[in-house]
Amino acid sequence: MTSAQEWGAQVRDRLIDSGVEPGEARRLADEFLAEAEDAEQDPAGLYGPAVPYATAVARTIRTTATRIAPLDRVRGQVVLRLSQVTKRYRRRSVLRGVDLTLRAGEVAAVVGANGSGKSTLLNICAGVIRATSGTVERTPRVGYAPQQHGVSPLLTATEHFDLFGAVQGMDRRRSQSIGNQLSRHLGWAPRPDVIAGHLSGGTQQKLNVVLSELSRPDLILLDEPYQGFDQDSYVDFWEQVFTWSEAGAGVLVVTHLLHDVERVDHVLELPKAEES
Amino acid sequence: MRQQWLHGFLDLSLLSLLAERRDYGVGLTERLSAVGLGEVPGGTLYPSLLRLETQGLVRAVREPSASGPPRKYYELTAPGRAAQVERSQAWGHFRAAVDAVIVSAHGAVMEGTS
Repeated sequence: MTSAQEWGAQVRDRLIDSGVEPGEARRLADEFLAEAEDAEQDPAGLYGPAVPYATAVARTIRTTATRIAPLDRVRGQVVLRLSQVTKRYRRRSVLRGVDLTLRAGEVAAVVGANGSGKSTLLNICAGVIRATSGTVERTPRVGYAPQQHGVSPLLTATEHFDLFGAVQGMDRRRSQSIGNQLSRHLGWAPRPDVIAGHLSGGTQQKLNVVLSELSRPDLILLDEPYQGFDQDSYVDFWEQVFTWSEAGAGVLVVTHLLHDVERVDHVLELPKAEES
Repeated sequence: MRQQWLHGFLDLSLLSLLAERRDYGVGLTERLSAVGLGEVPGGTLYPSLLRLETQGLVRAVREPSASGPPRKYYELTAPGRAAQVERSQAWGHFRAAVDAVIVSAHGAVMEGTS
């Protein structure tokens, strides 16, 4: 194999791994090689190293490709309402009097230092743990991507799609098609033969995020999903959050790196928990 | 800073060069360099062309060349022409506003020194 062919093969493989259709990836790689030949340059000299170049190309295709058609959702309806929510663990007060009203089509970011109770609040919203006092009202259709334990290590991504789709009454073909589509938007092409336990931490988080949206819920709860994401995926993630809110979902994101404060409807800043 | 500016204006520059006449990749690189935008690396140029193509603003046409493989020419589509006009007007307004800010700052500096 010549060095040009090798560069082309690397670009093709990286494009496929980033979620570009294999046929399209081959076509693009061939075109890049033809263009370099026409320019009488080595492809690595013309475009730079294969992997970063393919990553940039995959991102270009992703951001300009047509989005999944948003489903009709009622806008403006309250999907989550917290009134004076508190949480105490023995003598330690983790949350004190949290109020939030999140409507369909809005994005709320929960920020605060480590130990300020961000994950606790998310778990209370999801109904996984109980608040000590206060009320939590929410829509029944909730998607939830916790920081840990969101995926089953022995199942493949495809099996996760089947399982989560089945809960919403979707057949396998539809679950898999939506799951694969959503994965591609996060720059990931799930392989049918790899179990979740063998995926990298960042990819497991992507699977988590995909599962939280798979049933097209009215409220999406996400916990620190950028951990383990590379920079490009992190930007894609926020694009995806706003795509969901534009489609009418209410999205609550726990983060300690607020990406784009102007586009977020609510910022809920939690003070550091105190002993009392 | 130049690099960031170029990043923001490369699409408009390419649309404008192609509005003038269709061209192939190396031709576009040479023309960008000739007007003083420096040597735009292929790793920046080709994703930009691909984006314009995916957006339907630019179309690629392959034509046999006397030497080597068929050459890929880029040309504007009708929506591409419309986008070029619209974006260059928007840029004109933005540039005028930035110029106005710079000129008034320059005036203030001159007054301060006199």
